[in-house]
Amino acid sequence: MDAEARARLTPVGMALLVARIASVAAAVAVALWLYLGYTPPKRSSYPGREKVIFWHMWTSNWAEVINNICRRFNESQERYEVVPLTVCGGSLKTLIATAGGDPPDCMGQWETVIPAWAERGALTPLDELMEPGDWARLRDKMYPAVREIGTYKGHFYGLATGMNIWACYYRPSHFKEAGFDPDKFPKTLEELDAIAEKLYRYDKNNNITRIGFTPWGLSHWIALFGGTLFDYDRNELSICHPRNIDALAWMAGYSNKYGYDRVLQFQAGLPSTMEASWPFMSGAYSIVVDGQWRIQQIFEYMPNLDYRTAPIPPPAGGKENACWSNGNFMIIPSGAKNKKGALEFMSFWSGVSDPARAAEFYTWGGWLPITPDVANAPIYQEYIRKFPEFKTFVDIMSSPNVQVTPPTPVQAYLMHRLGWAEDAARREVMSPKAALETIRDEVDRELKNTRVSLKPAS
Amino acid sequence: MARRQNLTGWLFASPVVIGLLVFTGYPFLASLYLSFCEYDIFNPPTWVGLNNYRILFTRDPLFWTSLKNVLYYTVFAVPMGITFGVALAMLLDAKIKGISVYRTIFFLPSIVPVVATSVLWLWLLNPRIGLVNTLLRLTGVAGPTWLGDPAWSKPSLIFMGVWGVGGSMIIYLAGLKDIPVTLYEAALVDGASTWQRIRHVTLPMITPVIFFNLVMGLIGSFQYFTQAFIMTGGGPLDSTLFYALHLFYQAFMYLKMGYASAMAWVLFVIVVAVTAVVFKTQGRWVHYGR
Repeated sequence: MDAEARARLTPVGMALLVARIASVAAAVAVALWLYLGYTPPKRSSYPGREKVIFWHMWTSNWAEVINNICRRFNESQERYEVVPLTVCGGSLKTLIATAGGDPPDCMGQWETVIPAWAERGALTPLDELMEPGDWARLRDKMYPAVREIGTYKGHFYGLATGMNIWACYYRPSHFKEAGFDPDKFPKTLEELDAIAEKLYRYDKNNNITRIGFTPWGLSHWIALFGGTLFDYDRNELSICHPRNIDALAWMAGYSNKYGYDRVLQFQAGLPSTMEASWPFMSGAYSIVVDGQWRIQQIFEYMPNLDYRTAPIPPPAGGKENACWSNGNFMIIPSGAKNKKGALEFMSFWSGVSDPARAAEFYTWGGWLPITPDVANAPIYQEYIRKFPEFKTFVDIMSSPNVQVTPPTPVQAYLMHRLGWAEDAARREVMSPKAALETIRDEVDRELKNTRVSLKPAS
Repeated sequence: MARRQNLTGWLFASPVVIGLLVFTGYPFLASLYLSFCEYDIFNPPTWVGLNNYRILFTRDPLFWTSLKNVLYYTVFAVPMGITFGVALAMLLDAKIKGISVYRTIFFLPSIVPVVATSVLWLWLLNPRIGLVNTLLRLTGVAGPTWLGDPAWSKPSLIFMGVWGVGGSMIIYLAGLKDIPVTLYEAALVDGASTWQRIRHVTLPMITPVIFFNLVMGLIGSFQYFTQAFIMTGGGPLDSTLFYALHLFYQAFMYLKMGYASAMAWVLFVIVVAVTAVVFKTQGRWVHYGR
């Protein structure tokens, strides 16, 4: 710019010039930062070792726990390095990665993928990957539910790293207020129904202001009523088992008594059930069925909360210490590159190789172990002493009445439709029997469709 | 020289051409092939002829449910979108002070990302603490549970769709601005009332814009997915299981890619047929001012 042009510069022109110089300077600064200051995330701390790529679904505080377990594994031996990665929407991405021929070496999953993926040859049978002696030992030691949940058509595909068990949480102060002894939690479902009625609270317009108790999750109640969704002897689904119908009828009875919409209205006004906002902690429920992970959350967010836990009481003719259980699973995709490394990591975490050491990890996550060996380890017993209410869940874990999701290749569809049947019966748009019969036919049809899909007519 | 110029032209166009062939053309044809196959992603597709289509029409009741749901949505949402869009555009065509502020306000919802809109409406329609039911309570009406009620879940989504008419409103507004003033002057001279001017000048003159929005609205509503996926997941009782949602579940939850491809092609044929019918009728009601 010559002197003449500079002399002609108007204030607007000057402002534009400054803006231009500033944007060039900013671009140069970013380029310099990228070149000098930015270091990409470190992928490896042990360059010489065999990598074990581990995808999981945990985030925030949970991801910290997982990273610590991986770190401990990496420090414990010199051959492998586990590289953890949080993958949201994990099953879909694993699916695509598997299809693309580049799956992770192991993956943390919910169990619903086991039958569907195993049926399609996408999972490595762990029983074949393990040394026969190791497998036999593990098979005999695992809690029954852990064994069942990882098994499909005689092979073992998913090794649980933590199981979930559901039981009742209740508020002693609500019991006292309603004239009940909090030390005497109902022993039968009929008693629970009677107490629940007295624990409900309403405002002057008859809107619910506190729920005494309301059931959800048909699978739990099927287990408690002594029903089942799968006949393991005949290897077929038993959706319309008479006790399943009884369980759903009992659930529908709650809607009939307290009003489906009225309960829904009340629940809609509550915060989410996530972590610190769990409505049980704020007193919105007197008795609620929930999982063992809540104990650690209560300790973290409301350590002075007065609460107790107890197994869900069975109805007359039902099963004690029963509930539906699921778990976090480690699977090895069939296309994984480092299967042995993945197996070693899984064994390390779940305590197959050293239960006492793994017990510590389970206390970090507040998880239920997969073998009594881990549960009996001193560090785990110490955890139970610190959180006495946790014992309820550990005791249920060994119960033969704990049920798992049926091992059918259409598991995701089955669970989706089961939710529909529960909804239909609780909204009283259909009788419990008709609702279950409807989904039985749907699932049968889906099974036929899928069989066609798996074995196309030649 | 001409050949060289030709080559240069293609080179410049190549990113789009290659992108179109690889990311649109190939999946389009591949999905047609896959619709005749069983394909679970893990294993190579196997040819099964018309089996997927047979299952679709004879052995999948949820296919019919999802089709009914999407038709219900289309039948109500598209005409309502057009009616509100045109009405709003006419109001915002007024020459009053601060009109651009009003236009901005009504246009804003259409630029909010659909996920944010969905979460916002989850709050608005919350049966207990939502704004809608709170206002209804003030008038003494006990509102429904909206998205929690099979009878109200689809209407809820339709209301939400109407809230976002700002996008089409802007196009109608442009159409309105395009109407020659002379036509209104002539109508005034002839003694036409306001209603007559709207009926015989404004509406006929913006029929090409209405036609455009009708076609785009039909195509969009047959593919309705995101809001239902986020807000209801298809429930309660399958009342918001729209076609595209059912298709998504088949493909990515139940690993039936072949079947989902067949569903996609059936939807494609439906959309093409409906659009063709609309195109056929345009001679009768769309005026291009010629």
